[in-house]
Amino acid sequence: MSLTFLPEDMNWICEPCGAPLEQGKVELDYLGNTFHVELPVCPKCGAVFVYEELALGRILEVEQLLEDK
Amino acid sequence: MGEGMDQQELKDWEAKCIQEEPPGCRAGCPLNLDAKAFVLSMARGDFDAARAVLEKSLPLAGITARLCEAPCEKFCIRKDLGGAIAVGRLERLCIGQTKAKAKIMRLPARPRKVAVFGSGPSSLTVAFDLAKKGYPISLYHLGDAPGGWLRGIPLSDLPQAVLDEELQRLASLNVSLVPVSVLDAAIVEAHSADVVYVGQDDTLARDLSALLGSPDSQTMALTLPGWFTGGLDDREHRFISAVSQGREAAVSMDRFLQNASLTSSRVALRGGRTSLFTQTQGILPASRIEPADPSGYTREEAAQEAGRCLDCQCLECVRHCVYLAEHGGYPKSYARRVFNNLSIVQGIRQANRFINSCSLCGQCETICPSDFSMADMCLDARRKMVKDKRMPPSAHWFALEEMRSAKDSRSALIRHAPGADSSDVIFFPGCQLAGIRPEQTLRLYDRLLELEPRTGIWLDCCAAPVHWSGRQDEFAALLSEMETMWQGMGRPRVVTACSTCLKVFRENLPDFQAVSVWSLLAEFDVPALSPRAPLALSDPCTSRHDASTREAVRTLLRKLGQPLADLPMSGELTECCGFGGLMDNANPDLARKTTQKRVEQSDADFLTYCAMCREQLAKTGKPVLHLLDLLFPDAARPAGEPPVGISARRVNRRRLKDEVLSRHGLDRGPREPWEGVRLVMSEAVEGLLEERRILEDDLRQVLFLAGQKGSSFAHGADGRKIASTELGEVTFWVEYRESEGVFTVLKAWSHRMRIKGGRS
Repeated sequence: MSLTFLPEDMNWICEPCGAPLEQGKVELDYLGNTFHVELPVCPKCGAVFVYEELALGRILEVEQLLEDK
Repeated sequence: MGEGMDQQELKDWEAKCIQEEPPGCRAGCPLNLDAKAFVLSMARGDFDAARAVLEKSLPLAGITARLCEAPCEKFCIRKDLGGAIAVGRLERLCIGQTKAKAKIMRLPARPRKVAVFGSGPSSLTVAFDLAKKGYPISLYHLGDAPGGWLRGIPLSDLPQAVLDEELQRLASLNVSLVPVSVLDAAIVEAHSADVVYVGQDDTLARDLSALLGSPDSQTMALTLPGWFTGGLDDREHRFISAVSQGREAAVSMDRFLQNASLTSSRVALRGGRTSLFTQTQGILPASRIEPADPSGYTREEAAQEAGRCLDCQCLECVRHCVYLAEHGGYPKSYARRVFNNLSIVQGIRQANRFINSCSLCGQCETICPSDFSMADMCLDARRKMVKDKRMPPSAHWFALEEMRSAKDSRSALIRHAPGADSSDVIFFPGCQLAGIRPEQTLRLYDRLLELEPRTGIWLDCCAAPVHWSGRQDEFAALLSEMETMWQGMGRPRVVTACSTCLKVFRENLPDFQAVSVWSLLAEFDVPALSPRAPLALSDPCTSRHDASTREAVRTLLRKLGQPLADLPMSGELTECCGFGGLMDNANPDLARKTTQKRVEQSDADFLTYCAMCREQLAKTGKPVLHLLDLLFPDAARPAGEPPVGISARRVNRRRLKDEVLSRHGLDRGPREPWEGVRLVMSEAVEGLLEERRILEDDLRQVLFLAGQKGSSFAHGADGRKIASTELGEVTFWVEYRESEGVFTVLKAWSHRMRIKGGRS
């Protein structure tokens, strides 16, 4: 299972860092469960981009699964 | 260990639902034949399936199906609607047109021996039933061949070849057929079998008859140990009652041979008694089909006759409730589903959403002939889930947030009337009326002040959402908080414009002596309206057991001269708009279906006296008025006005508070810094926010904080920007363009998963 999630359009720049987002390591947490994934991240400040398709797709799916566990 | 539902609770719930009770025909069959399944198979023309149903319950089906007097027909619900289904005739056609099952299953042989004396139908039944259980049987019969009086009936009823074939099948089950010249006491007494049966539906010698005496009417046991009988002279039907007595005797003999009690947990014959309810309203009479040829039905005639079967079942609640129908079962099966869900220790709880989707409206309980309440069952389950910390946090999140916001200092308020230092009554409009119709709320308050100048006002939420979501501790805490506030106002009588608030107060804070504002207004004159088209009055589900408020509303409408259109599910039978019980939170798609089905029940425009019903019903595009639109024509909103929406409700509550305070020359104090963030968006984006339950206030906060920190993502080419902030349990994202301090919202989304950190 690939745990890398990137949007089609990666042309986003972190402000005020001025750095283009890159694939980076991200730790996500829900209801005490931790996930290590790769998402677009600002290489300078570490800001993470959870894009729309990811939030409403895979993330929602996992959230609901964990809520019913 | 969790709270769960214990086995006894499950049984109690299951026992309340009568859907699995037998239809009259089955209850009236002494052999418990599933006559409905048989008839429905015949209606489909599936004769093999029909025969399989017969063979499952009937001993020596080839004989029984031909000679049965069909006592079931007496209990057929069709009997007053064109005549009972001719089950007997259908049996005869089926048995004549199909082949017997190739092999009858027999259990492994058992060592204990059975002797059967006589070969009438009762004796043949005992031999058949016990032979299948593996006992070796000796059947003693008079004459050359067994059958007794069956050999004397017209061949058209029972051809000799059929009788012989069935007896051959019986013999193949390890039944020895022993011819004797007389059935007397000596031959029975001399026998070495472990248990004996004497069939009185055959010719017995006088000394044997005298020896028997009367058997126990349930077990057919004689006082002589190990002796059983049947085929009694006083039986109701010559054939089928003999078979039935043989079967009951066989049950006892099997128990006797296993040293088990003859009576313990024995299922008694129902004699047609059942608690199954079958609705016959609206069913047209259809006459029994008489065969053109008196000897019996053709296949076509049989299909027509069987087609009259009403397929008796209850499903009264399921027929009316979208929620119950949607999940493919009925309360009894749902009780098991809820039980299983609560019992899961590890694994996915698949019924969480099911439990959280019930509107708790109580319609099923009102309709159900035995008062099954899905509301009670689901609310109880929710409470257990909350106690066990198994309630999915997202299920009711939005409604609870809305409640908290209605209760916070930006929206809530409690005050005496301007210039008054006490209140005789206090007006509690309810948070949804305040959010959905703020101007009308004030207009209504003004009217109440005309009627009673010492009327205070209390903008707040009654805490129904925490109640519906199963959070008992929080509910109790909020009620106690409200009680303290009310005491601080001098214990005025509470007048509310919301049926839910009214119900919550009456059930939990009886000292409030809460009364509906409609009851109060109905005591006074109202100006009549100009003649207008009838409206379909949809009572809110929380008014189901409040006949006096429902009547007060109708009194007001009569005074207004407003005619009403017919809406069948009204009053005590009314339906939920899709919001109740937080259905709309836990299962928005189901709520939409529920609302749609509701508005389809009348072509007329709708009228309601619950603000949330107005909001929900209007989502379908149906023109819906609130009672206030009729009472205060100067402040009326058009029936076709779209719903207010989640964002505006919040703003409206704040504005209403500001308005009330300004009448006292007060101000609620400094605004939140983000309140001034200016947003613009298309209708499509507005719809998207509504659907995703994202408030404009949420976006204002995200944008305000992003502006303060100067943090966002900017698109490398086209000037779009994206900002996000975690607000409470949820992280909100907004994509936008900014120009001269105005934010054009392009998209917004959210997630609950928390971002703990990122690095490249």
